[in-house]
Amino acid sequence: MSAADAPGPVLAPPPAGERSAGAPLLEVDGLRVTLVARGRQVHAVDGLSYRVAAGQTVAIIGESGSGKTVSSRAVMGLLPPSARVEGHVRFAGVDLVGLPERELRRRRAVDLAIVLQDPARSLDPTMRIGPQITEAIRAHLPLSRRAARERAIELLGRVRIPEPRRRYDDYPHQLSGGMRQRVVIAAALSCNPKLLIADEATTALDVTTQAQIMHLLVELQAELGMALVLISHDLGLAATYTDEVVVMYAGRTMEHAPTRELFHNVRSPYTKALLGAIPRLDRPPHDRLPVVQGRPPDLTRRMQGCPFHLRCPSAAERCAAERPPEVVDPPGHRFACFFPHGEGNLP
Amino acid sequence: MTVTGPAPARSPVATAPGEVLLAARHLVQEFPVRDRSGLRSAVVHAVSDVSFEVRAGETLGIVGETGSGKSTLARALFQAPRPKSGEVLLAGQDLVRLRGKALLGARRHLQMVFQDPFGSLDPRWRVSDLVEEPLACYRVGSKGERRRRVAEVLELVGLDPGVFGGRKPRQLSGGQAQRVAIARALALEPALVVCDEAVSSLDVLVQAQVLNLFEDLRERLGLSYLFIAHDLSLVKQVSDRVAVLYLGRLCEVGPAAAVYGRPAHPYTEGLLASIPPPDPDAGRSRTVVGVQGEPPSPIDPPSGCRFRTRCPRAEARCAAEPPELAAVDGDPDHQVACHFPLPAVPPPSTPVPSGP
Amino acid sequence: MAAGAPELAVPVAARERAVRRHRRVPLELVLPGGFLVVLTAACFLWPLVRSMPGPINGNFIPDLPALSPGHLFGTDPIGNDVFARILYGGRVSLEVGLGVSFLGTVVGGAIGAYAAFKGGIVQAVIMRVLDVFLAFPALVIALVVADNLGKNELDVIWAISFFSIPANARIARAATLRQINQPFMVAARLGGARDGWMLARHVAPNIGPQLLTFSLLGVPVVILIEAALDFLSLGVPPPNPSWGNMISTGYQYLSSDPALVIIPGAFLLVTVMCFNLVGDALRARWDLQ
Repeated sequence: MSAADAPGPVLAPPPAGERSAGAPLLEVDGLRVTLVARGRQVHAVDGLSYRVAAGQTVAIIGESGSGKTVSSRAVMGLLPPSARVEGHVRFAGVDLVGLPERELRRRRAVDLAIVLQDPARSLDPTMRIGPQITEAIRAHLPLSRRAARERAIELLGRVRIPEPRRRYDDYPHQLSGGMRQRVVIAAALSCNPKLLIADEATTALDVTTQAQIMHLLVELQAELGMALVLISHDLGLAATYTDEVVVMYAGRTMEHAPTRELFHNVRSPYTKALLGAIPRLDRPPHDRLPVVQGRPPDLTRRMQGCPFHLRCPSAAERCAAERPPEVVDPPGHRFACFFPHGEGNLP
Repeated sequence: MTVTGPAPARSPVATAPGEVLLAARHLVQEFPVRDRSGLRSAVVHAVSDVSFEVRAGETLGIVGETGSGKSTLARALFQAPRPKSGEVLLAGQDLVRLRGKALLGARRHLQMVFQDPFGSLDPRWRVSDLVEEPLACYRVGSKGERRRRVAEVLELVGLDPGVFGGRKPRQLSGGQAQRVAIARALALEPALVVCDEAVSSLDVLVQAQVLNLFEDLRERLGLSYLFIAHDLSLVKQVSDRVAVLYLGRLCEVGPAAAVYGRPAHPYTEGLLASIPPPDPDAGRSRTVVGVQGEPPSPIDPPSGCRFRTRCPRAEARCAAEPPELAAVDGDPDHQVACHFPLPAVPPPSTPVPSGP
Repeated sequence: MAAGAPELAVPVAARERAVRRHRRVPLELVLPGGFLVVLTAACFLWPLVRSMPGPINGNFIPDLPALSPGHLFGTDPIGNDVFARILYGGRVSLEVGLGVSFLGTVVGGAIGAYAAFKGGIVQAVIMRVLDVFLAFPALVIALVVADNLGKNELDVIWAISFFSIPANARIARAATLRQINQPFMVAARLGGARDGWMLARHVAPNIGPQLLTFSLLGVPVVILIEAALDFLSLGVPPPNPSWGNMISTGYQYLSSDPALVIIPGAFLLVTVMCFNLVGDALRARWDLQ
């Protein structure tokens, strides 16, 4: 009866991206993921929809447990077999959900690529970095050993590793964290992916290195015309490098809007709380941060209402009982809240 | 807030607000290691000639990236391990010269909160025992008095002792675990708490709660903090004064407003430019990367100024002689170690303190 | 400052439930563990509860087959009840197995933890000395020591401990080295804890489970070595029974009455297997944490 029983949020009209470039390459539509952990069901993602076109960057922002990483694994088809994935993940028009494993693996390797948080764990410490890239290339492209090697060296150069020919024979431990992440990116680019997912790819790096890697990603995106999905907890990254932002909390989409619109016209109290809690350079020292108490809800239970209602300053009884429907206001700006901030009241 | 029973020797720390509580003088810390080939031995120059002061009631922020030596520096203050040379003066008493019981006695006024809240709590202990441990180690009061003190500090950090006292660390959330770690640090009524990336592993909303807790405690207990972090915004949030550390050397130190508002060291400026602000209009106008290049190895740091290999202003002199800390614009509080410090910027773009 | 209170909200109860569910005792632990408990009870308590024939002196008709009335496993050529000999012999196996493990865990654990904790020259000397013992095959050491000591149970325990103590010490040292770099060890140290406190309160409880698992996995080896010593007449001297010397003496009658070897052999095998299974199950659970 209530919105909570509905199979998934109604798909809103595609948000007007800041760089809306042609037809969407990736269309995630009403994605739900249920994981099984120690015999209990975890509703990790509960209704996520977004689109990315070639050359566009979308950020999925959330704290730990928000479902942002699980959603990217679902898109990549990297979840364990026990996970239940519902909804649609259309890539270039083909729905990846329910695709046979072999077909999925081929597409995943060639068209989609993911860069994870910890470069140390993405690389084999016992292998030289060059062959690790060559291996990725030769697994999917019909190239000779020599050609693959040349391609790997070219890729190392492309991710701005100085002296790529010499570095080809280095072991991962001979490189700094930032350089290792560049190698991981080079490997991810080996098959010219159309979509790159950066899952907290700069979180483990220093700020100065993070800035370098982000600049690299932006440049590569422009060079190769990739779509980029940035999974992060950092609203600063989202503000600075993306066209569109999805804010997730406890598996739900709280707010989804073009970047400028989102930051200038925050509607969801959760996004507001998140923005307020970040220490900023323009705040005076010893300033008290506006905080919300409590912690995220238990994802093993189906939530009736809004997942944020226990911590939300503007929550009312209704928020506990009823799932807030998705509202679009102004056009292109989606959020799920009965009592939103900002302009315009609810119809 | 007082421990009853046999009064502990509160000897060296009776400092009035504003007086120097802790002073590090020419601290040097080096470790022998094997070089990359694993054959020859080499030396990591983790901390090289670092001096700073923390005044009573003040928070000194130390900003540094990976390899800057900030955690080594923190540990050197505790003499664990002892620094290679230099002095650590706690209310005038040099910890480096103290041994055994005397060191243990002096060190109780110095406590530390670590980055990983779960890692820093023994997983097999209960919360109340964890908080009691420092009191038991220093044999403060009777068992009953210690128990009362445990309840007191747990309340102080916002945890109900009745609810949380019996829990094991794995039954806590990250924020709660870090509160327990803070309670542990506070149990002995330290004068200075060293926070080594103490909120870095927490989620934003919980991080804000813990930052506010630090502020509350500072006001209520008159605590001083040494707040070490890689995140400049975070350090700005809590610090009166800020020191910037690069590859084991201090680049710049001064009042937070001065260092952030008018950075004099090219590295400080680069760090500031590297932070993506949570504001789509501010961030996009910039096109330059904050700091170019890779950090050099602390095994073989550059001669002269250690930042010169990545510095856009470096000249021959920077390789020849290491710059000493010198006053910026004649302000003795704001010091920079640079031969060619940045000129003062005209203030039109001074950020206006405001909410989001 | 009521910050903590609302955090109570939801998930703790759920997590505790999950933890409890996780702690539910699994079958792979209960079955072999249960057998060992029953066996131990039978060996040590049964003779106290019910009157049993003695294991020596040959009071019965010799060479009765198994399932004879009053003699479940029959009698041996000397006229002793085999069931009684199995139970009394089991005492030897269990006492030696558990005794050696206990000694190994406590003494070896203490030595290893201390060495790791002290580091430097202390560690180097201790570990090199222990390495000398480890360099010989366990049985050879036990043989040499047993030959020099007397032939009774206590001496057998000491003999085999020469092998188990260094092995446990190695494990304890490795486990301790892993633990002392944990942040909570550093935190305790900076909180004012001294060596003794650290070893007793932090190191021991944290390496305990690992050591215990290791020694449980060592029990079957010990039981087999004890049996081998008996078999080689270097262990418990006949006529006192142990599974090892039962097999050894039964060996002479292998063609006429194979049950004399099969019965103690089966007990030995099942007991050894059960210790292995329990050890494995515990290790799996320990790895999970």
